[in-house]
Amino acid sequence: MAERSSRLTLTPRFIVVLIVLAVVGFLAFNAVFLVDQTEESVVLTFGKYSRTEGPGLHFKIPFVEANYNVVTRIVQTMDFGFRPNNPGVFGLGDSDQKTSYKSESTMLTGDLNIVDITWIIQYRITDARQWLFNLDAKEKTIRDITQSVVNQLVGDRAILDILGTERLAIESKAVQKINALFRSYKIGVLVTNVQLKDIMPPSGSVKAAFEDVNVAFQDMNRLINEGQQTYNQEIPKAAGEAQQMIQVAEGYATERVNNALGEVARFKDVLAEYRRAPQVTRERLYIETMQHVLSDSKDTELIDKKLTNFLPFKNLGSGTVLDNPAPETKPAPTVDSKPESKGVQP
Amino acid sequence: MKTRAAGFLAAVVVIVLGLFFFSGPFYEVKEGQQAVITQFGSIVATDTQAGLKVKIPFIQDVTIYPHKIMSWDGDPQLIPTLENQFIWVDTTARWRITDLKRFYEAVKTLDRAYARLNDIIDPAVRQVISTNPLIEAVRSTDAINQSQHSSAVMDANGEEIKGLNDLISARTSYNTIKIGRNQINADILKAVKGNIERQFGITVIDVLIRQIRYSDQLTQSVYNRMISEREQIAAGYRSYGQGKKQEILGKMEREKKTILSAAYAKAQEIKGKADAKAAQIYAQAYSEDPSFFQFWRSMESYRQTLPQFPKTLSTNMDYFKYLYSPQGR
Repeated sequence: MAERSSRLTLTPRFIVVLIVLAVVGFLAFNAVFLVDQTEESVVLTFGKYSRTEGPGLHFKIPFVEANYNVVTRIVQTMDFGFRPNNPGVFGLGDSDQKTSYKSESTMLTGDLNIVDITWIIQYRITDARQWLFNLDAKEKTIRDITQSVVNQLVGDRAILDILGTERLAIESKAVQKINALFRSYKIGVLVTNVQLKDIMPPSGSVKAAFEDVNVAFQDMNRLINEGQQTYNQEIPKAAGEAQQMIQVAEGYATERVNNALGEVARFKDVLAEYRRAPQVTRERLYIETMQHVLSDSKDTELIDKKLTNFLPFKNLGSGTVLDNPAPETKPAPTVDSKPESKGVQP
Repeated sequence: MKTRAAGFLAAVVVIVLGLFFFSGPFYEVKEGQQAVITQFGSIVATDTQAGLKVKIPFIQDVTIYPHKIMSWDGDPQLIPTLENQFIWVDTTARWRITDLKRFYEAVKTLDRAYARLNDIIDPAVRQVISTNPLIEAVRSTDAINQSQHSSAVMDANGEEIKGLNDLISARTSYNTIKIGRNQINADILKAVKGNIERQFGITVIDVLIRQIRYSDQLTQSVYNRMISEREQIAAGYRSYGQGKKQEILGKMEREKKTILSAAYAKAQEIKGKADAKAAQIYAQAYSEDPSFFQFWRSMESYRQTLPQFPKTLSTNMDYFKYLYSPQGR
């Protein structure tokens, strides 16, 4: 009986209770809302701003109040000049993982050159109410303003400065200028960081030309080093050669003086003996010398002026022996008879 | 009977009330919105404050418009500058509806508002860009002329290479600008503003040049110029290096010659002094008996030289004095 009664309690009263419970449950479901730790929630009462709630569980009047949650704590990123191929995966957005947007990255520099820049901005929503209700095309506005500011800053600098030292200045000035504009619009966004990624001359032959300058710079240093190397090879060697020359001269000098001293000493000794017996010594020296000079050659010929017919005729001019004797009118030339001179052919 | 009539009446009242509330005496204007209330087509009120409002059902209509900063994005336009260089100019603008009544009368829909903005902003951009030289739109200040640091070339020791810098950075002074991009933006805004506010109830907050690019044809010639500029600098580097090398080699040659010739001079001097000293020594000794010196020195000399010659001797020589007779000649 109890079982049957519980199953058959679809009385009008019970139905009313069920409906009331359903309505209450529905209302209760619509009366609470959750706000994440990263969010803020703006509550509107009949469309009019009433309050902003922080993270946690909150109540609202169903159908009268509406809540809009906005992520305010998380720093968001926007890319310019490229898009990551798999957005949301941080740390993988390297060059091979992205699609380039040349229409965003191509810019004119202050010296009217062309440069290719990709960059990102990081921003955070600081005022959920302003963000929600003051700005219509939110992402687009951030994108437009950022692009305009970076373009302007790049347009105010020379390409070499942009490729070189001006990167940081552009980044910090861009943050200032973008934020100034956002503040003037009162849209509740704060840009925390502008980061220039790749700053490059236009790809292809222009880039190659830029790279060639670097190569040329290296070439320059290499050439200078080569010159220096040759210098270093040659100069110490020359200094050594110079020393050698001087040393050789010194040696010559010492030898020359010593020879002189020796020869003079010998001469003086001989002279002393000569003075004791001049004639004999003179004769002896002469004969000794002749003996030495004449003894070691075998083909010495001796002729007698008076006996020319006996001895073979020696033609001193041509150095050959002739069969037919020369006429008397032309006697064979001979050396004269002084002791100092000798029979010499020129 | 009576209860049935009462019940019927109650039902009618409920239906009428239901219809009344359904068709709405109430309407909501949210934050970021504004509303125009029209009665049989004519404007009776505008409402820019958010909240729950009341209107006469069936008779009054409410049209909601945004009360936010709106964004306008023009298509890039190919515009000749004053010096007749064709550039793509891409502009962006922010605007909002400030006079709802006029906006409703003159434009009514957002689509038409964008069309009007196109009609007014594009010609304004074209007009301002084409009456100014290119650099006015590109540059904002003359700061470019103050920073020359990165064009200065340092050698391996971090010292500036003087001659080379003169060579490669010949063209480092840029024309000064007269107005600059900020003023260009302001001029465009000025040309836009007067018209649009009075006619359409729209306030344009700003017009900004988003991007400037060369036309494709111009791009190619600019590329060529950039390449030739780089090539000129690269050639400068290489030729400077070559020159430096030759200079070092020349210096080397000079120093080498200096060192060797100085050594030669010194060597000759040393030898000369030694020769002089030897001569002095000989002269001093030999002058004690010149005739004996003559004889003795000759003997010494014969001893050295004569054995090398082939000889034909005459018996006339004193040496052979006793050859024919023991008494001598």
